[in-house]
Amino acid sequence: MSIIELEGIYTAYEGGDKPVIRGLSLSVKSGEYVVIGGPNSAGKTTLLESINGLVRITHGTASVCGLDLRCYGNEVRRKVGYVVQNFYFDPFTPFTVEEVVMMGRYGKMGLLKRPSRSDREAAFEAIRLLGIEDLASKTIGTLSGGQQQKTMIAHNIAKEPEVLMLDEPFSNLDFNAREYLQGVFKSVAKKGTPVLLVSHAFDGLPDIRIHLVVMNKGRITYDGVCDAGEVESIIRKESGGGLRCSSF
Amino acid sequence: MLEFLIENNVVCRAVEAMVFASIACSILGVIISRMNLSSIGFTMSHAAFAGAAIGMFLEINPQVTAIFFSVAVAALIGPVSDKAKMAADATLGVLFAMSMAVAIFLVSYMQYSGRGLSAGSLLFGNVISLYREDIYALAAVSALTIIFVLAFYKEITAIMFNMKIAEASGVRVKLIYYILLFIVAISVSLTLNIVGGLLIFVLLVTPASIASQFCFNVRSMFVAAPLVALSISAFGVWAGFEYTLPIAPLVALLLTSAFGVSVLVSFKRRINYKKY
Repeated sequence: MSIIELEGIYTAYEGGDKPVIRGLSLSVKSGEYVVIGGPNSAGKTTLLESINGLVRITHGTASVCGLDLRCYGNEVRRKVGYVVQNFYFDPFTPFTVEEVVMMGRYGKMGLLKRPSRSDREAAFEAIRLLGIEDLASKTIGTLSGGQQQKTMIAHNIAKEPEVLMLDEPFSNLDFNAREYLQGVFKSVAKKGTPVLLVSHAFDGLPDIRIHLVVMNKGRITYDGVCDAGEVESIIRKESGGGLRCSSF
Repeated sequence: MLEFLIENNVVCRAVEAMVFASIACSILGVIISRMNLSSIGFTMSHAAFAGAAIGMFLEINPQVTAIFFSVAVAALIGPVSDKAKMAADATLGVLFAMSMAVAIFLVSYMQYSGRGLSAGSLLFGNVISLYREDIYALAAVSALTIIFVLAFYKEITAIMFNMKIAEASGVRVKLIYYILLFIVAISVSLTLNIVGGLLIFVLLVTPASIASQFCFNVRSMFVAAPLVALSISAFGVWAGFEYTLPIAPLVALLLTSAFGVSVLVSFKRRINYKKY
């Protein structure tokens, strides 16, 4: 069953002279591990923001978790976990890791409701899954970039999302942490939650069949299933060799 | 309300007004400072100032028009920012200038036409000429502010943490943001009588800034900021009456001095070498 169903969608930022995503169609089923690759400015982040209802879809039809995105943006956001790219928390940010992880459930809880025991358990389970129990009482601004990244992933996992989307989640992490997180994402996908991963780091991908989507200039140039070992070569090929380093 | 403590009616009302204004403004200040929206204080106070000037021009209750005009400006901030794709801070700047222009235009016009309006009370406030109804209104707005924070605590903290992440999590960011603007508008309009349009910024921003020098979490900031504000402003009122000093500027100076001291003695930025 498709959790995400996009049909010929166009999205544009207000004031932009042309659409960022053009006529894109994509279907994601439950439990799929989707890797979205492609060169810079291909529209990968915009695609995730469109699926989360943060960017307006101007044409086409889009349904996420059975809800029409154009009408139920906020309801979709309550069901979708989205780890945003590039965040920075100053050292005086007055929130602990535990509080930030719990905030992941706030949208889902609804207005005027207090966190229940099950909410606290879900938050603690996410903290444990990410291996950041020892950081729980520390304020997020005092942590390293990698620890902040793990906190934000826990924030979204605590939400028990129906779709988990991650935009460059490995940008501040070393190889071991990347491999560990790939294992976490694999276990999330195994439970039936589709994982959509935008990344330029393909080492440590889990040894499962990957739904690979390659984008270029707002369009999908490749949409198929492959092994983890093939991901990088397909992205290189479909991006027109744009990822290859020129010789010095 | 505090007659059992303070016999003199005028002093009692002044203390009550300062205490309630301090509670409402400092709690709101904790939220707006963290959201980098401190300029909302400027804009709202000048919107209230302009509203009061409109009231005087039309010869109707200036407090009522101050509330209406500030609520109208608050209602414009969100939609104008969204429509113009500008940061809320830039929109606040534009609306601040517009409010100031309206106020100065009307005050000048009334002076030229011989209606002789003095803007002194609007700019600097007059804490000793308050009616009992003013105190009740301030008490109500303090209660409203506390209820707002208690009812929407989790949404407010999520927005204070990061607006985009809160929105991506499905938190009703816009609803909370508009309620916040509405309460700030009412609080500022009612406080205009006490400290005036120019000094209200001190009550909104300084207590929260002092609290942030010592508090490591938001919960303690929400408690510390009003405690700091009400103790300093109550002391300011007492000192003002005791030594015949202008009360509102005195409170502003005391709060600013307390901020200076808090920056000097704050332990938050110290490095604990014993840990090494």
